[in-house]
Amino acid sequence: MNKKLKKSIEYFFLILLACIFIFPLLWMIVSSMKPEAEIYLDMGSVQSLLPSLDVSQWFLTYKELFSRFDIPQYVINSIIYAVTITVGSIVVNAMAGFAFAKFEFRGKKLLFGVLLVLLIVPVETIIITQFTVAHTLGILNTRLAVVLPMIGNMFFIYLFSNFFKAVPDEIIESVKLDGANNWIVFWKIVLPMSKPAVATVGILSFIASWNDYLWPLMVLTDTDKFPLQVAITNINTTQPVYTNQVMAILTISTIPLIIVYILAQKYILQGLGGSGTGIK
Amino acid sequence: MNTNKRETLAAYSFLAPALILLGTFLVIPALMAIYYAFTDYYLLTPDQRQFVGLQNFIEIFKDPIFIQSLKNIVLFVAFVIPIQVGAALGLALLINKPRKGNIFFKVAYFSPVVLSLVVISVLWLYLLNPSEGLINSLLANIGIEAQPFLSSPKQAMLTIVFVSAWQGAGYQMLIFLAGLQNIPSTVYEAGKIDGVNKWQNFFYITLPLLKPTSVLIMITTLISAFKLIIQPMVMTQGGPMNSTMTPVYYIYQSGFSDRMIGYSSAMTVIFGIIIGIVTLLQSRLTKEDDI
Repeated sequence: MNKKLKKSIEYFFLILLACIFIFPLLWMIVSSMKPEAEIYLDMGSVQSLLPSLDVSQWFLTYKELFSRFDIPQYVINSIIYAVTITVGSIVVNAMAGFAFAKFEFRGKKLLFGVLLVLLIVPVETIIITQFTVAHTLGILNTRLAVVLPMIGNMFFIYLFSNFFKAVPDEIIESVKLDGANNWIVFWKIVLPMSKPAVATVGILSFIASWNDYLWPLMVLTDTDKFPLQVAITNINTTQPVYTNQVMAILTISTIPLIIVYILAQKYILQGLGGSGTGIK
Repeated sequence: MNTNKRETLAAYSFLAPALILLGTFLVIPALMAIYYAFTDYYLLTPDQRQFVGLQNFIEIFKDPIFIQSLKNIVLFVAFVIPIQVGAALGLALLINKPRKGNIFFKVAYFSPVVLSLVVISVLWLYLLNPSEGLINSLLANIGIEAQPFLSSPKQAMLTIVFVSAWQGAGYQMLIFLAGLQNIPSTVYEAGKIDGVNKWQNFFYITLPLLKPTSVLIMITTLISAFKLIIQPMVMTQGGPMNSTMTPVYYIYQSGFSDRMIGYSSAMTVIFGIIIGIVTLLQSRLTKEDDI
């Protein structure tokens, strides 16, 4: 009996904690599925955590939101940015990692040391001069400006380099004897043998670029180039502001991430030390 | 061409894209910030840029908003580290015990991690609305009077602490969980033979063996916490009364909104040095602990 009571108390706490972590997410989703007036009518009652009782209301908010803003455009923009940055950072950083792992060349130690020092530079503090560089290059308000600064990443180079070192030199040598050049070795041997590293880098940079806000906000002025994160604050400040529509755009921008997290569970943890702590 | 030269050439052709991108968007901006810090560069009049020596640095340390932002970030870090890391450890210990429904609890505690910082900031802005938000309605249900939260200079930063910890704890819970599961069961069995109780078990076995994990988590949290900007930017615009103004946000405001590149760059240099030192100290600390 005593044991049963203890177990019940334990479950009570676990469930209470689960509620604290889940209810904001739940409120976000259900508030996007009811008319504006109902949100405030329900506030604080059990119904505030349930969608509208009238099922025909569930997707009306989304219809209204889509008629006021070009949501598909924002979604497409976000996908373009995230996919380009992801593919770009896999290829570019893997190439650099390959050079560090499998070549002996002049300046290697110095260069690697410089990269390690760069790991310490807090990127967020140099956004202003990054902006003046983009200005000088004449790429402000282009998609290129959103994508380019996000590709090169010291942590990813380091990660790839560590992974590539494990590829046996004998394999590379034997392929080279068959007449393959470095480029073929990289694409056909080294990269395919390092799938976990590719997956880790791919997922981390997809999440980081999907969530990026400050930089696109700074360099873009045309709304039709906005990614979802910037569109959110734009919608949240464009009068008239409707709570249910804001919750709808929050939900829309979160769905792809939910899918990525479910598909990529086992790679998420490896991001520690890179971009992945709660406070980004 | 000898083989050595050829190999160097090949290596640099593989390095080129990364070096060009990192050089253009990281090294050059960092060097520019250091240079501009000693000038009065105003974005709209680049031709009249002049070398002003330490002028910017002198002004910064007299700037009440910059001083306030440093105090604010220290407050944020001092609260968010113990709360977030403590919560993560607590959750991991709860989950680590095998029981029915654990996977549900794990997913629940992790769920805020999938939300972006912009999403959590906007979402909590609505939840915390003093007059018609869900939080105050819930508090009213249990007889607690409405709180001002983000609109009070006293509560705003602590509210951001709570929101940030709520979002980040789940991720660190998973890391702690991995650390807990790496502790071999034989260690606990040995403890059992020696007759240790539950608390001794925790303080003398679990906690010391979790130390490398804990240090790693604290460092990464510390460094990212120092760079806080999105939450105050979206939720409070640094207010009320600059109570949530942070250094990175102030760098952004003076450089981007006020266009004072020189002044902003000087703050970048000062704050960059602070973060750099913290990172170095901490990474040395972990190295010793790992071995």
